[in-house]
Amino acid sequence: MSSVFITGIGIVSALGIGVRAQREKLVAGISGLKSAHFLNSIHKTEFPFGEVPYTTVELFSTLSDRGELQQSRLQALGALALEECLSSCSTPSGFIRQGLINATTVGGMTDIEDRYFELIQPGILDGDTDWASGLDCATGTEHLARRFGLTDFMTTISTACSSSANALQYGARLLQQGHLDRVVCGGVDSLTRFTVNGFNSLKNLDKELCKPFDVNRNGLNLGEGAAYLVLETEKGLQLSGNHPLAILSGYSNFNEAFHPTAPSPEGVGAFEAMKRAIEKSGLEPAAISYINAHGTATLNNDESEGRAIRRLFGDSIPPFSSTKEYTGHTLAAAGAIEAVFSVLSLHHQEIYPGLNFTTPIPGIELVPAKEYQQTTLNHILSNSFGFGGNNASLLFSKYD
Amino acid sequence: MISPLYIRSARAISAQESFASNDLSKEIRSITGNRFVYIEPNYQQYFTIMQLRRMSRLTRIGLVTAIECLKDAGISQPEAILTGTGKGSLHDTEKFMHAIREFQEGTLNPSPFIQSTYNSLNGLIGLHHQVNSYNTTYVHSGFSLEHAMLDAALLFGDNTIGNALIGAFEEMTDEHYIIKEKLGFWKNGAVSGEGCFFFYAEKDKNGSALAIEDIKLWFEPEENQIRQGLEELLSSHQIDWNDIDVFISGRNNDKRYDHYYNLVADKLPSSTHHIHFKHLSGEFDTAAGFGIWAAARMAEMKRIFPSLLLKEGSRDNIKHILFYNQYYGKQHVVYLMKTTA
Repeated sequence: MSSVFITGIGIVSALGIGVRAQREKLVAGISGLKSAHFLNSIHKTEFPFGEVPYTTVELFSTLSDRGELQQSRLQALGALALEECLSSCSTPSGFIRQGLINATTVGGMTDIEDRYFELIQPGILDGDTDWASGLDCATGTEHLARRFGLTDFMTTISTACSSSANALQYGARLLQQGHLDRVVCGGVDSLTRFTVNGFNSLKNLDKELCKPFDVNRNGLNLGEGAAYLVLETEKGLQLSGNHPLAILSGYSNFNEAFHPTAPSPEGVGAFEAMKRAIEKSGLEPAAISYINAHGTATLNNDESEGRAIRRLFGDSIPPFSSTKEYTGHTLAAAGAIEAVFSVLSLHHQEIYPGLNFTTPIPGIELVPAKEYQQTTLNHILSNSFGFGGNNASLLFSKYD
Repeated sequence: MISPLYIRSARAISAQESFASNDLSKEIRSITGNRFVYIEPNYQQYFTIMQLRRMSRLTRIGLVTAIECLKDAGISQPEAILTGTGKGSLHDTEKFMHAIREFQEGTLNPSPFIQSTYNSLNGLIGLHHQVNSYNTTYVHSGFSLEHAMLDAALLFGDNTIGNALIGAFEEMTDEHYIIKEKLGFWKNGAVSGEGCFFFYAEKDKNGSALAIEDIKLWFEPEENQIRQGLEELLSSHQIDWNDIDVFISGRNNDKRYDHYYNLVADKLPSSTHHIHFKHLSGEFDTAAGFGIWAAARMAEMKRIFPSLLLKEGSRDNIKHILFYNQYYGKQHVVYLMKTTA
């Protein structure tokens, strides 16, 4: 299979707009988690959130050209990440086949939920109802594709918290089998009352800052954001002249068929996803320099992921940490956001410190990286695990 | 070109009696109001009452369709599960939105939230059959099923898997019907529908009756792009318009879009059979699944279902089937299929 090169990245998260804003906070160990301002929920100050610190209007005003985008927080976040992503690399000259593989868990729910009950009243037919189309996951993707000239080929994936990790995998396959020359992959989710109450009903939200891999972890913090990566083949590089930031060298999707919302305690799915991603790259586990863990800080996830890491790497566990303490769990965007962080780590040869950790989980005894450090990094594994037993792992390698 | 998907079995739950007999031999059911509603099977043989209670309207039919599809193929554990849905379990999404409002974000039952997740059916199928595998869900309106198909073909192409369960599922609700009405979906003749379709496909021929040889996807294309794309598709498979024995179109009675289908029909010889299917299923994001199911069953049974005939041709021997569907002018999909008998 031909190599898949990453040539562009763009991102928005609670850490701010753009790659530079993210890295400044990551290097300094500054979290973006705090009470929400813009989320319309009675829970907005009860839990910490990784809310992007701007109103939707402010987000749109940051865009160079809004085009025909709908008045949507989802689309504003997506457009900001895509704008940076596409301007960070050059577009090949001549005819190329390109596409957009997007991911989201609830589409434009944020933009709809406040007006939903008005929308379902049979009698009232007001003039402009176009905004109602935002409930459909395809709508956001299509508006973004039109705005950025990516309408030749597009789709949207929704596999809960592994959605955008799967978007990257599908994009890689489309490139490797010659269906596309260049593909933009990623995901976006905005904070919604729907999802906040969903995770709250599952008792999965921590009222304090989340504590991945800590014995006293008590749930996750939800976040929002978007991230996109440009993937190109060797042929694409020749046409674009882009210099790769990293290589997507392995990937895997594995469903463990254990429980609708909880992972198996021994982490079968996490183990297989990581193992298969490494196998696909032709590497051995010993070659992995760092793991960007899923690390949501729920009781179940960190235990099963921790056990899987133990089992796969034995006594020589590479440095690992979760970046959920910075951004919150951004659901469908998480895989792509952490892919961007992995690319940054490889590019700058640095590990970002895990936060809020004090005591390891007994029996697993894993201690995440707690200090910022510069070190040699060749291969980074990034995990995204979701509802329904959906596990995905991506492997990023340094480009020399 | 894709690695062909050899369809070994196909199942459909639709507004017609398509499930038990797995054909369209029963009397055709006409529509009530402006909505085709799918016929639910008898769940007793599949689930206990407790299991049934935990599942929603859409996940029930989804799981039952998948179970029977795999049973027909004699397979208990496929190597991948790929699905497409435009809206997922709308009942659950709505139920959770109502609960949030009614209980003012208080203590809520998490079940509707969990089942509203688009990939929850995939997880259930995996759980039911204990399938540890590749598992994904595409949620892009009129492209949803097609990306599940295309992804399966890619996974065949790089030898990740040798077989896959591929499906689509959709439901309509009273509330969503109103929303779509306000968005203008029903005002020009199209009728609302719903259904669930599963296909078991293999990389190798192994006694399948129908192969999906290629899939083309265009978003909001110009007519020229469709024309050119179809010419290229046919020539890349070394056939021409005269080789098409059956043309299946996604006509939905909305006259605004007939010109797309006419563009293809005009190219075909008079001997080609023309088939449509939305007059029996209604229109929805993944309605194409009903047409693909019909194609697979007709190939297997070596006859054309009379209730689907729009214009009878004269071909006795069915080899090449061209399928074209578009969803409100946005997502246009073409399948090139070939019978293998």
